[in-house]
Amino acid sequence: MISAKNVTMKFDDFVALNQLNCDIPDSCIYGLVGSNGAGKSTFLRLISGVYRPYEGTITADGEPVWENPKVKSRIMYVPDELYFLPQSDMNTMARLYAAVYDSFSTERFRELTATFGLKPDANIGTFSKGMKRQAATILALSVMPKYLFFDETFDGLDPVMRNLVKQVIYSDVCERGTTTIITSHSLRELEDTCDQLALLHKGGIVFESDIQNLKTALFKVQVAFADTFGKERFEGIETLSYAQTGSVATLIVRGDRDTVTGQIRAMQPLLLDVLPLNLEEVFIYEMEALGYAFKDIM
Amino acid sequence: MLVIDKFSRKPIYEQIIEGIEREILTGILAEREQLPSIRELSLKLSINPNTIQKAFIELDRAGVIVTSQGRGCFVAADARMRIREKFIPKIAEIAALAAELAGAGVDEDAVLDAVREAYANHERKETKL
Repeated sequence: MISAKNVTMKFDDFVALNQLNCDIPDSCIYGLVGSNGAGKSTFLRLISGVYRPYEGTITADGEPVWENPKVKSRIMYVPDELYFLPQSDMNTMARLYAAVYDSFSTERFRELTATFGLKPDANIGTFSKGMKRQAATILALSVMPKYLFFDETFDGLDPVMRNLVKQVIYSDVCERGTTTIITSHSLRELEDTCDQLALLHKGGIVFESDIQNLKTALFKVQVAFADTFGKERFEGIETLSYAQTGSVATLIVRGDRDTVTGQIRAMQPLLLDVLPLNLEEVFIYEMEALGYAFKDIM
Repeated sequence: MLVIDKFSRKPIYEQIIEGIEREILTGILAEREQLPSIRELSLKLSINPNTIQKAFIELDRAGVIVTSQGRGCFVAADARMRIREKFIPKIAEIAALAAELAGAGVDEDAVLDAVREAYANHERKETKL
């Protein structure tokens, strides 16, 4: 488990992370979304031990990460800006990683380079941007770490490669309980991959939830009545948003779907539609409920 | 084979639950039969194993499947009955729909005929199997 407690990170007087708290359980695929400058990369660099927290503690399996080789040997981090040794090929990089990480699997490295169709003896400098991303991803997956962090890696992969990487991660989750953190600025990118989602904004997690609960906790109700009515008719139902045009009202409701539907049906409406929301809509309404305007954040 | 629509508004784990229940009702999965492992499903459907696990826990709690430590998950011996129980509340939906139809002035017999026909069609299919 990765645990961050009251973590603050400053660069001169710029506060990148402010009193951040979060727990990431084992075998979780954790998605971190946020706009540019929200602190996603800073957070990843902190939990992989690249930065020392200005304040607060970050631990993996109960031990601090900073300057702790034992813990760091279980962590693999694929940064947004990749680094390869000058003029090296993937074999050279594999030897480098194998020297640093005991868990490095040459067998898996061979398998993956073959599956992805990358030449392990070609100069990485001749690779395209997407191929470099693939190369870094293959090397990271070959390390077979307990903790795997990807900084916007998925954004640079084509759909076929993305699916391949996902499958390797899924099989690692099944077999070894690997914990993965993926950052992205696109919600859609993470929606079908992660099981936990956190939204980072101005250096703090404003919102964290299980992705499935997120999708079922809120829903949209469209309802019409014969007589004139207003918002007060729905007292007792937790309404996040209310809009009415003529005799039709649209509500965003939080609660148990069947209970609320029963409650409204008892009012004998002329029309009643209950619709689920997509993740983006859920985010918009949850954020508004917290007092943020979504368009300022994403 | 389960089909999952990742862009549907319906949560994936609900789709998995419904898909497995449908397979049990149609007889694709027999009672007491072993379900594919989480790993197998995860790779085949490209779905997060934690999500599949969650669906399995839910099915286990509803008594539709039985989890045997170390051996995997099996369709419960009385799975069909359990699923049927879950469907009974849906009668309320027919009632609501019937109220709508009545409001629109649709003939009562036409509605009843449609229901009877649906049941007759289903039985014909069953006997063919």
